[in-house]
Amino acid sequence: MKKHSKATRLAASLFAVALIASACGGDDEAATDDTTALEEEPAAEPVSYPTLAECADVTYDYTYTPPASAGMTVTYDLNPDAVWEDGSPITAADFKATWEAALNTPGSISTVGYDQITSVEAGSSDKQVVVEFKSVYGPYKGLFGGLLKAASVKNTSDISADFADFIGFSGRPWVMKSWSPSQVVYVPNKNYWGDDKAASEELVIVPMADDDTQVASIKAGEVDFVYPQFYGGIEEAYADPNITLQKEFGGDYEGFYFQQKCGPFANPIFRAAFSKSIDRDALFQQIYVPLGGESPLQCGPIVPGPYCNGDEFANSYDPAGAEALLTENGWTKGADGYWLDPATGEAPDIRWIINTGNTRRENTQAYLIPLLNAAGFKVRADNCDAACYFQQRLPALDYDMAMYISTAPPDPGYLTPSFTCDQIPTAANNNQGQNSQGWCNAEASDLLHNADFEADATKRAELVKSALKLMAADSVMLPLFQFPKAGFWRTDQVGGPVGAELRNYTSFINNHLWTDLNGDGKVVLGAEQWPACLNPVTECANSSWMVWTTINQVMPGAFATTNDGAYVITNLLTGEPTVTIK
Amino acid sequence: MLRYVLRRLAWAVPTLLFITFLVYIALRTGTDPVASYKRVNARATPAKIQQYIDANGLDPNYVRGYFRWLGNFLTFDWPRSIKGSREVWPALKDALANTIRLGIAASAVGIVVGLMLGVFAALRPGGRRDVAVNTAAFVGISVPPYVSAILFQLLFAVYWSRWFGSTLFPTAGVYPPGHTGFDLALMAKHMVLPTFVVAIQIIAVYSRYMRSSLLDVLSSEYMRTARSKGISERRVLFKHGLRNALIPVVTIAALDVGAIVGGLIITENIFSYPGMGMYFLAAFGDGDFPLLMPWMVIIVFSTLMFNLLADISYAWLDPRIRLE
Repeated sequence: MKKHSKATRLAASLFAVALIASACGGDDEAATDDTTALEEEPAAEPVSYPTLAECADVTYDYTYTPPASAGMTVTYDLNPDAVWEDGSPITAADFKATWEAALNTPGSISTVGYDQITSVEAGSSDKQVVVEFKSVYGPYKGLFGGLLKAASVKNTSDISADFADFIGFSGRPWVMKSWSPSQVVYVPNKNYWGDDKAASEELVIVPMADDDTQVASIKAGEVDFVYPQFYGGIEEAYADPNITLQKEFGGDYEGFYFQQKCGPFANPIFRAAFSKSIDRDALFQQIYVPLGGESPLQCGPIVPGPYCNGDEFANSYDPAGAEALLTENGWTKGADGYWLDPATGEAPDIRWIINTGNTRRENTQAYLIPLLNAAGFKVRADNCDAACYFQQRLPALDYDMAMYISTAPPDPGYLTPSFTCDQIPTAANNNQGQNSQGWCNAEASDLLHNADFEADATKRAELVKSALKLMAADSVMLPLFQFPKAGFWRTDQVGGPVGAELRNYTSFINNHLWTDLNGDGKVVLGAEQWPACLNPVTECANSSWMVWTTINQVMPGAFATTNDGAYVITNLLTGEPTVTIK
Repeated sequence: MLRYVLRRLAWAVPTLLFITFLVYIALRTGTDPVASYKRVNARATPAKIQQYIDANGLDPNYVRGYFRWLGNFLTFDWPRSIKGSREVWPALKDALANTIRLGIAASAVGIVVGLMLGVFAALRPGGRRDVAVNTAAFVGISVPPYVSAILFQLLFAVYWSRWFGSTLFPTAGVYPPGHTGFDLALMAKHMVLPTFVVAIQIIAVYSRYMRSSLLDVLSSEYMRTARSKGISERRVLFKHGLRNALIPVVTIAALDVGAIVGGLIITENIFSYPGMGMYFLAAFGDGDFPLLMPWMVIIVFSTLMFNLLADISYAWLDPRIRLE
């Protein structure tokens, strides 16, 4: 059952945006005129939006039509010396196996991009790979980042039962020796062809149950390096004469997200008013300045760089505007001071979810909820533990407001699965999709999809920026803070370029270059989270720590990310691939 | 006695089946295994989901589903974990072995020391050593394991390495990072801190049990009779007093040790010790039915067996009790 048409939503959104613009923009006289004009309009009938109980019935009639194109060909020339751990060459067959496995394996988490490929074949030799795309695909550099060894799998149409607890192949400096719930051990890949061979005899990664254990382990010298999530007072917690800290800003950002498929924030007027009632600057002073923050993030779900002007999500705090917006649309305050929905006569109940035990987020709730209550919004904390939060309630869109950290890869292609209409989990798509805000703006979806089909970097950036503006206008989220990434290591136990790749999306990927200083022959890393399984294409790979501790260590790729957030070719290729647009 | 044990063992089978049936229903209704599977494998095809349902006996009819699950379980045709399709037995076996090792070590240290302190205190009730043991016991009971664990880690690892250049006892794991294979000495060294964290609580509790039980026995009439017969105080204490005082304590000990098999969740977590507690936390967090059901069966089985052991010990220690 369709609860509201795209046109209705768009009209309501535009109406809200017009009201916001009238309240914010221009001089006072102009604002007064606009308001007068609005007051003369006959009162609109209250619009009903899907309630939580109706959430499962919401559908969207959005369909994206890709631009007409004859396609694109990307030709990779492989390093003739590139071989797997057993000396067999890395060839086009491995690219083909990777494509087929990512596309066809049931439960594959990353089919985006691979579904645009029509064929992967050997070119002039098996060391040349010719990849044909249906149409132009801008983020092609994000594909083939972790190559499967074709000979390691029997059936590339379904590798979901493979690599449950061991990845035996390697095309990188390390090769996995053993994996268990207690540790993963790597030894140098004797057949590695590159110049950047492993500098120590062994790399061991061990799970750290919590931050206290992590602190104790590195201070006791049992691990050489840890990479904990940043928090206030972390420098003091890890302070030790033999431990050094490097703090950098990468792709991690924290923000508020509003679920709008159903529930109170399905109403764009209410959502806009709520968003305008949050004083991000004051919140930033309260929560993030003690962490070393200087000003709130203004880019939205992306970090500063070529895809953001830096002012898309400029502070929209405007309590008077919020009040005017609601009043103009028939909202009144009840006896308890909460805004009453004209359609139901009730105050919308706003469930704000965070993971219990996260002090920073709990402090944010403690600070903000009373202020929002005083502003007339019936907000309450509705928290659960991390597993429940991230694995159950966020994917199920079972929240109204959420606060969490996302990690943005260098390419903005990740915005497409996260913010387009066709990626909202619904009954029609078997509840698949990663758009866990439930935001559907057809224009923005088209822009993001078009960006994926745009090869020109400048034009692509403009498309993304335009989508961000629509996102801000629709109050999809409020960005808060570009989160620091912090690495701590024992200077008496590990040496080399330890701090060189800490803000890289593929964090500490250069660990093969680290040297053992204390003579135990190994470099030991503490991992804050531990993978339950090692399959590189299924849900197992939906964890940064799984990727950092396993995939990145053994699977070679065509492109790698740099510390500065760019894609560069790896030594697997002899040069930049040739891109031909037909 | 043998007949009693055999009869109890025979009764244990239907009891085990009944309890596992209840557990099966509780897990199915409480965690919704199919929903958990779909959540973890969001893109699973209908065929894969059906395969999972069949392998786990998730029939709409709970009785039929339970017996299907039981059939697979007894023939060792265990379904794989929902996350990554990993075999269940290797992980469960390792977790069980780790927890049993830790549980036995901590129980042995805790119960033996606790009983000795209880006897030591009970022999001079109200005296200085009684006050000292009682005070220590209250402190031990009051300090939660997450506090004592961190204090031990700081003292024996962090500060020890700062003072003497290397740690006295490691803070985490079963072996040092990178170690493979079996090494009793290394394993024992890694178990020292978690063992003592668990043992502190056991010592505190059992010293209280033993003191109280022994004081009761020492003031009983048959003890006065024994003394009036001219039996030496030492013989009165060890032959009559201790044996009778141990009866309630042994019963509790058997049940406590049985419960430890379920895992020492806090201690295992702080020391990154991969036992049954950590196994359960991970499995429950994912709603992983294939991992949870065997864990539950082991817990139920362990509880039943240690109950039986408690009853047998009871009879062995108290000649008035005859097991028929």
